[in-house]
Amino acid sequence: MGQNIKIVLAGEGGQGVQSIAEIISEAAYNSGFQSLYIPNFGVEQRGGVSVAFVQISDQSVDAPKFIIADIVIALSRRAIERVKPYIGEKTLLVYDSSVDDEVEKIYGKLGENRQLSIPALEMAQKEVHPRVFNIIILGVVVGVAELLEKKDVEQALERRLGHKFAQDSSLKNLNYRALELGYQLGQGK
Amino acid sequence: MDIKPIQDEKRAFMTGNEVIVWGALAAGADIMYGYPITPQNEIMHYWTRLVPKYKKDFLQTEDEISAGFTTVGGVLAGKRAFTATAGPGNVLMQEALSMAEMMRLPTVVIVTQRGGPSTGTVIYSQQEVNLTCFGGNGEGLRIVYSTSSHQELFNYTIKAFNTAWKYRFPTFVLSDGYQSKMREPVTIYDPEEKGITIEPTESLLGLPGTPGVERDPAHLRNTYNLEDELYNVVKSSVKEYNSIISKIVEYDTYAVEDAKVLIIAHGVVSRAAKAAISSLREKGIKAGYFRPITLRPFPDEALRSLVDNVDHIVVAESAYGQLENIVKNNLYGFNIPIIGYLRPGMGITPEEITDFVKAELSL
Repeated sequence: MGQNIKIVLAGEGGQGVQSIAEIISEAAYNSGFQSLYIPNFGVEQRGGVSVAFVQISDQSVDAPKFIIADIVIALSRRAIERVKPYIGEKTLLVYDSSVDDEVEKIYGKLGENRQLSIPALEMAQKEVHPRVFNIIILGVVVGVAELLEKKDVEQALERRLGHKFAQDSSLKNLNYRALELGYQLGQGK
Repeated sequence: MDIKPIQDEKRAFMTGNEVIVWGALAAGADIMYGYPITPQNEIMHYWTRLVPKYKKDFLQTEDEISAGFTTVGGVLAGKRAFTATAGPGNVLMQEALSMAEMMRLPTVVIVTQRGGPSTGTVIYSQQEVNLTCFGGNGEGLRIVYSTSSHQELFNYTIKAFNTAWKYRFPTFVLSDGYQSKMREPVTIYDPEEKGITIEPTESLLGLPGTPGVERDPAHLRNTYNLEDELYNVVKSSVKEYNSIISKIVEYDTYAVEDAKVLIIAHGVVSRAAKAAISSLREKGIKAGYFRPITLRPFPDEALRSLVDNVDHIVVAESAYGQLENIVKNNLYGFNIPIIGYLRPGMGITPEEITDFVKAELSL
């Protein structure tokens, strides 16, 4: 049985959904997996819900798009409904605790193994900084997917943000802490 | 001047638009002309960012009509010139590309298909097959490579320049918005290190020697006064085109030996089609797959040689029958039912093809 994981990330423009997808897919590629990332770049650029499709596999990836995801991460109220087509019988839906009511409204009870509410927004505000919200989510995805080594993700993060870390070393610390916080939330779920 | 853009092999994880730029650089392109349109924009962006180091040029024109004609002009000036466009831009470029067809100019055009008709979507489709293969007021004397992966984007961008300059027909790399925007692994390389001959770029005008005395005049025309003049020129181009088909056609097959159901797809959809074969076979359905890599000229002989024992043909495409029509034309005289899984402007997954085949054939 090969390893193959399909992830959908959805959120508001500016929540950093595409960055998370880019970092994860690049980290996967650098750790020897085949990976493919495609943004849904239509009208989303103009203020709709931004969706990213990521596939990580130990074999070559077939089509760039897929229907049913293994993990769906929906970060905003509107995203909860937008991701409905990608949710199948075994899909794990990950969302911010601030939209618990929306999930309940649209999906009812999915069951313990199929939903994960994480207080990422609150945690970003209280424990780190709102600007690293997406890095917490990145950590959650890495923790949940259980496919990538944290160090590979840190390297991908470094490649992407290294030039900013060089200017302000506290940023590096902030991002790494956010990654770790997210990882702890997602791990084992 | 001769700094090699790529030395040795390099593995990379990048977008298709970046891959195309590396391919054009590796192919020795001199200049890109272009006008912005999604999803090809980043080809222009990367080109302008990367190429000053290699003393290559770029010209942004006022629209795609102009981008097409400046590409024609660049080639006339003896430059390895190319452009990239999509959708409505591809429509506007057809006038210039007809001229290239008439004058046998080795223009190279990258097409990143988006949804249509008209502005449609900026996302993806396979709806520019007719336009790219047969656009313009001519006979479609063009060469069109339909790519399915980043590796092919690189390989066929290089090949497009070589084919164009070798055979002097306008040549196209037909890609799509998915391939443009997605990231996946690719290995880029210097073609000469791989033993690929780079066809030389040659001046078409202002050649040495007195025209008519020491050499034939370079009499490039797109206008003729008499109908038989034009007829003879077009006839001779058609003859030459037909004579090179066997050297140009390319295709791919999978599990066709005992196939009863043949799935035909091109471009990125062929990845889904190929994956569908395995799951159909797991369910006991003898499915095989045929993929034309060149849509113009079409690998007709290869296809016809495969279908003797086939009961059903399924054409899957992100358009409403553009590939299906080409397939039907090329299977004239064969009595095999052809059904289309036709999804204009929509991505196609392996599961969708599998389900369609099972439902349609009641298998």
